[in-house]
Amino acid sequence: MLIRSPKTWELPTAAVTPEALYRLTQRRDFLKTAGVGLAGAAFFRSAPLLSAATAGFPAKENPAFPAAKLKPTAEDYITSYNNFYEFGTGKDEPKVFANKGWKTDPWTIELAGLVNKPAKFDVNELVKKIGGIEERVYRFRCVEAWSMVIPWDGFPLAKLIALADPKPEAKFVKFTSFNDPNSAPGQRQANLDYPYVEGLRMDEAAHELAFMATGLYGKPLPNQNGAPIRLVTPWKYGFKNIKSVVKIEFTTTQPKNTWNIMQAGEYGFYANVNPKVDHPRWSQASERIIGGGLFSGSQATLMFNGYEKEVAPLYKGLDLVKNY
Amino acid sequence: MPLLEKLLRSKAVIWTLLVLPGLWPFWPLLVTRNPTTGADPLKFLLHHFGFVACVLLAVVLALTPLRVLWPQSKPALALNRHRRLVGVASFAYALLHLVAHVLHEGGTDPARVAAIFGTALGKPFQLVGLITFTILLVLTLTSPHAALRRLGGRRWKNLHRLAYLAAALAAYHQIYARKLFPVQVLWIFVPLALLEAARIIRQRAMAK
Repeated sequence: MLIRSPKTWELPTAAVTPEALYRLTQRRDFLKTAGVGLAGAAFFRSAPLLSAATAGFPAKENPAFPAAKLKPTAEDYITSYNNFYEFGTGKDEPKVFANKGWKTDPWTIELAGLVNKPAKFDVNELVKKIGGIEERVYRFRCVEAWSMVIPWDGFPLAKLIALADPKPEAKFVKFTSFNDPNSAPGQRQANLDYPYVEGLRMDEAAHELAFMATGLYGKPLPNQNGAPIRLVTPWKYGFKNIKSVVKIEFTTTQPKNTWNIMQAGEYGFYANVNPKVDHPRWSQASERIIGGGLFSGSQATLMFNGYEKEVAPLYKGLDLVKNY
Repeated sequence: MPLLEKLLRSKAVIWTLLVLPGLWPFWPLLVTRNPTTGADPLKFLLHHFGFVACVLLAVVLALTPLRVLWPQSKPALALNRHRRLVGVASFAYALLHLVAHVLHEGGTDPARVAAIFGTALGKPFQLVGLITFTILLVLTLTSPHAALRRLGGRRWKNLHRLAYLAAALAAYHQIYARKLFPVQVLWIFVPLALLEAARIIRQRAMAK
């Protein structure tokens, strides 16, 4: 059972302010070129939905995580530079091989384990049940020491946990991705143990920053970015952000996570971004800015990827060197 | 002289072949503007230059066994005229690789560069890369004829046998550069290992 009070910035998705709409028309070219103003935006909000995970678009920006504060990485880079080993280990491979007949529509996601309300949902139904989506601009830091800024669309993971209504003995959340070797060449090669699995502690999963994304840049997630629904934990390294989730389970014991199974010495369970704890083979003190070019593309990595104020209380008393 | 042999004897041809891999990055970066390459161009250059350095190191080491195993082969003899050039080219790409690494880690001021080398000394993966580079540097510095004369043939030869150590270390470094085992390491170094094994067997047989 999760008890939490809504934050000041948590507006209901339906509460559209004129300012937000104005910004929407400023940012979204299609609205501008269509020559529509506020009425046009209202029309797009209620336009019929055609395929999976399109529910709720366009989403309203959550003012606590605005694009004005962080400069989003170009969309072309976000959708062309991917680690999605299910479709190959090259950064360019997911864009090619995840779009060769792999079906992300329809998509069912299951809530299971120690919950009072186990259920299976179509992703679009889930979005509607949760009350729509919002846009949040988050930093994204890969364990390989590169970073992006991504405007995600989705909903707080806490809302999904509330829907599942976990039992008091649930201490962890386990996430499982899809397993379809026929569609995923990387799974046929078995380059990792599939399906990809990840896990969070219950308090991490319930944290206001933990997010389930169904889109980016105001559009449904491209397949290579983990369509139709993926986890986003911006204070953790990218590999925690499991893509294309099919099952969310509540457990008493700490779930295993794929990269920890593969290389325990290099990838831990927590995977919190930490400039002071190096990877065995490289420093984590700085990071490459994707799209930064040849000579201006490096910056210092921030503790918890810049979300220290928000998440540091989760790890009070925890040895972050041992629990990397 | 057959055309192939003529081409392989030509310094201009070999120079061209050695320079071309260095020009290749212009294609995805400037011509096709591949977004995956452009997302992190330094990472691309880092891996590309390291890869070329490994290939050329394997190639230069393969030249001697080719000559020993096929002493009548004119192309093998022609290629052996360029051993120094290919070896120095391997060093040149290793240098580009190191520069790309320093820039990749944000090393645009001296303090940062010092910190980057400090980090490298503490990590086996990077330390092995640095040792490999140092070997190639020493071999390049002692590659002119003047150095050979000053050192004496025997000492020079023993020193330049470090190239075999460099190849082994380069293979290790290349394997640990990736999260999963990179298959191209096998493509580069297994043929070399087989050639060396065959050459040793051949030379032992001839010595008897």
